[in-house]
Amino acid sequence: MIQVEGLTKYYLGDQPAISNLSFYADRGEIVGFLGPNGAGKTTTMRILTGYMPASAGKAIVAGYDVMRQSIEVRQRVGYLPETVPLYKDITVWQYLDYMAGLHGMTNPDRTDRVEEVLDQVDMLDRADSLVANISKGMRQRVGLAQAIVHNPDVLILDEPMVGLDPDQRREVRELIQNLGEARTVMLSSHDLAEVEKVCTRVLVINRGRIVAEDSPEALANNMQGMQRFYVRVDNDAAGKLKELVMSVEGVAEAKVDDRKGGLEVIATRDSNARPAVAALIVSNNLDLLELRPLDMSLEDIFLQLTAEAEAELADEDEWDDLDDDEFDDLAEDLDEDEETK
Amino acid sequence: MVAQSARNLWTIFRHEFSLYFGSPIVYFIGALWFLFVGVFFSISVASFNQGAPLTMDNTISTMGFLAIFIAPGLTMRLISEEMRTGTHELLLTAPVRDWEVVVGKWLGAWGVLTVFVLISLIFPLILTFLGSPDGGDILTAYIGLWLLWGMALAIGVMASAMTPYQIIAFIISLALLIGLWLAQAVFNFIPNPLIQEIASEATIFSHFQNTMVQRGIIQVENLVYFIGVIAIALFLATNFLGTRRWRA
Ligand SMILES: Nc1ncnc2c1ncn2[C@@H]1O[C@H](COP(=O)(O)OP(=O)(O)OP(=O)(O)O)[C@@H](O)[C@H]1O
Ligand SMILES: [Mg+2]
Repeated sequence: MIQVEGLTKYYLGDQPAISNLSFYADRGEIVGFLGPNGAGKTTTMRILTGYMPASAGKAIVAGYDVMRQSIEVRQRVGYLPETVPLYKDITVWQYLDYMAGLHGMTNPDRTDRVEEVLDQVDMLDRADSLVANISKGMRQRVGLAQAIVHNPDVLILDEPMVGLDPDQRREVRELIQNLGEARTVMLSSHDLAEVEKVCTRVLVINRGRIVAEDSPEALANNMQGMQRFYVRVDNDAAGKLKELVMSVEGVAEAKVDDRKGGLEVIATRDSNARPAVAALIVSNNLDLLELRPLDMSLEDIFLQLTAEAEAELADEDEWDDLDDDEFDDLAEDLDEDEETK
Repeated sequence: MVAQSARNLWTIFRHEFSLYFGSPIVYFIGALWFLFVGVFFSISVASFNQGAPLTMDNTISTMGFLAIFIAPGLTMRLISEEMRTGTHELLLTAPVRDWEVVVGKWLGAWGVLTVFVLISLIFPLILTFLGSPDGGDILTAYIGLWLLWGMALAIGVMASAMTPYQIIAFIISLALLIGLWLAQAVFNFIPNPLIQEIASEATIFSHFQNTMVQRGIIQVENLVYFIGVIAIALFLATNFLGTRRWRA
């Protein structure tokens, strides 16, 4: 299992890449780590796998402290890095044999095991190909084979689905689900739909903070429950449009569009926010120029969740030193808040 | 613990050693080396015919001298390339210690050199057909050669751990090795006996050519010199590799 408390990482500069992350993942769980570019997913995973130290905080992986018992952790973790770095000048077989060897496996077990995982990722027929000559999808699968070759208790997969075609995605998904039954799996992604299919629980991370934690179904409902639209008026000399819009029931956020001076509004889907905004504008004697729906991008959803979490953070000063139980309670409260919206 | 480290070293050594022989560069370097050394050996053989003593001194000196240029070329790849391509991310998250990575890689390179050295034993074998050379002398010189190469390769590994750019690693180790070879000549211009003394102790000349090769003796300080530099270089290499984790 994985248990993380207050994990913080500063690279150069004073802006942390991740800040005060706390979460856990149990055996049998497949936890999705969902976030946009630069959210801090890779950073977190690199700390959990013992690649680099955190600036502050604590992480227990497979029962050992990643900072103080790095080797013990590394023996028990399988890691697929984001870039799937493989040695190009050797064959697929030689590569896996080397990785198994680095994890302390000896012959004859090692040979059997390499054959087994190659079979699992459906690469047995390419065992003697040079790594340089296999396709991107195959490389991804070899990367996955490398991560599981030593039978780790914990699997950490950084964007494992990237570069795979739909069939391969399905296969990898099934593989991950099988592996996840008796292990702890954590995988990162930008893609809610992907995470939804395979994960039992999802952590949403943005700008280095966990902004939501939920079952994939609840999260998907929650996210699809938002709508976005664009509104622009002509004679808003007093600049009160934003204030007006924000006062409408169901509106969560309104952002001024700098180019034309309109507003991008995010509101809950089931509210009648759009007609209500229109009515309010008219009743305030403003000229409505534009009112049209916008697509809800994942980026917006992340921003939205981040804004909510930050508001929560401002309310809850003691967030920083919560212990696990309190954290859970709070997470539940948060869920309820969102459900009642 | 010890068994675990030994196994990790063996795994890394085996990987690196076979990577060398899987690439054409080693065969190219090997061919170049034997060409050079063969020419010098032939010159020596010509001088034996004119009554010079039957020794391997010049040939082995040449093989030692070539370390300056060849060791940086053999080692520049070892860590730099992993950092550039990102494969070090898996190496550094495998349950092996940083020093095991460094030493395993160094042993891989030294293994290649050992193959070269073993093949070069053909030259002293030829000598035995020409007369009766002093076997002890030749053995001593060969031990010196092997240690010198171990040192040059350790310096190369260190340079390779300093940068993801192979060419920079090559230049750093080349400069360090030239420095160690020429320190004495340079510092001879400084009329300070202490500095000259230090410089002479620090040079490869005084521990390799002047003693182990030409005089056929191994002194404790020669061993301390080679093994000490190897240890320092590998220690620093381990630290450079470790700082990679911080800079990620
Ligand atoms: N080696 C590094 N040095 C300095 N800053 C870094 C480094 N690696 C990441 N960062 C910064 O840390 C932040 C988090 O990056 P990280 O790679 O963890 O995000 P991510 O969630 O994995 O993003 P992506 O989806 O693009 O992979 C980013 O702002 C990034 O620029
Ligand atoms: Mg990433």
